[in-house]
Amino acid sequence: MELLEFVLLLALTGIVAGVVGSLTGLGGAVVVIPVLAVAFNVPFPVAAGTGLLTVLATSSTTGAAYVRDRLSDLRIGMFLEIATVPGALVGATATVFLVRRSLNDDLLIALGAVLLAILAGTVLALRAARPATEGPDRVARALRLEGAYYDEAEGRTVPYAAHRTGGALGVAFAAGLVSGMFGIGGGVFKVHALERFLGLPMKVATATSNLMIGITAAAGAGVLLAAGYINPYLGAPAALGTALGAYLGSTLLPGLRNQTVRLLFLPVVGALALEVILRGLGLA
Amino acid sequence: MTAKLTPPTAGGIPEAEYRQIATVLRTGLAAALALMLGALVVYLAVHPRTTFGEALGSNPLPALLGLDAFGAALGSGRPEAFLTLGILVLIATPAARVLSGFLYFRRAGERVLAAITLTVLVLVILGLVVLGPFVR
Repeated sequence: MELLEFVLLLALTGIVAGVVGSLTGLGGAVVVIPVLAVAFNVPFPVAAGTGLLTVLATSSTTGAAYVRDRLSDLRIGMFLEIATVPGALVGATATVFLVRRSLNDDLLIALGAVLLAILAGTVLALRAARPATEGPDRVARALRLEGAYYDEAEGRTVPYAAHRTGGALGVAFAAGLVSGMFGIGGGVFKVHALERFLGLPMKVATATSNLMIGITAAAGAGVLLAAGYINPYLGAPAALGTALGAYLGSTLLPGLRNQTVRLLFLPVVGALALEVILRGLGLA
Repeated sequence: MTAKLTPPTAGGIPEAEYRQIATVLRTGLAAALALMLGALVVYLAVHPRTTFGEALGSNPLPALLGLDAFGAALGSGRPEAFLTLGILVLIATPAARVLSGFLYFRRAGERVLAAITLTVLVLVILGLVVLGPFVR
């Protein structure tokens, strides 16, 4: 296959991944990485490095809009980044070491399992009720991890205050670890930390997570880039396509952003996860 | 006539800081995408017969990681160098956002959050210049 043909195919995959990623809230990497690994036989760490670039493109595309609308909580996001960034550094380093020990296939199986876990978490999140409100804990009070946002749908200002910061930091570290290790955004885990542990409203949690996945991906991508696992011929078209897809998904198709559409696309990601597992097992 | 409601700022940070961070993200993303798109088009025009296998097997990036080699490649107008620059700008964009946050927290006298943001920034840089080359 000629490079031009591959670049166009990957850019197209990126556009689809960006649209699907923004509609499902899973990010584009969950589509791009399996496609690269399964359809193009790209080695796992290179696929993961490409995935992190798509995460960066998505985060900056949609993150700017969320920040402009003041839905992202910068204070809480930056507080949790102290855990997600070390997690990403450890995860990306672990991937390099595991690849050196010829554990490519095991990483693929683990990636498939993580994708399935993310799907399960997403489905459960769709059904879950908002967590009960607790008062802010000592850390939250000291760092003023609280705020309010105007909810247009509800027509009122919604106040919030963070609590259970210790547990949130633990989940945030795990989210960073998964992101750095597998090249995905890990937004589902970050939203979990923000919503379930800190008790933030879902809209603020989603917007803040979107901002956090950028710096988390930057940490992981920095390690993989310096270790030689980011290939610009793959990364550039994937990032370009995903940025365009994320833009289309978040601006041109707002009417489709509902749970039904999310559930429609989740089987696609599930099928890709199973395909990755089969490839890892040598069955695909 | 309905008055336009301004949403309260999440996290108690002034609106100007939010605007500045949104601008940092938009500008960084636009610069990165423009560099990557331009360099990719030039590369494909100059090397129309390159195959996917050759591109996958001959990653130019490791050879461009030294400052001297990178500067020389940029100076000679090699599209691979501009592709790499686009990727570096893409990675640096959220780091610039964190830097902006650090400067705000320092100005506001919030020492703990300033220390946290500075630590995050240092960790990202260490990953790129120390950890990555160490495991290469």
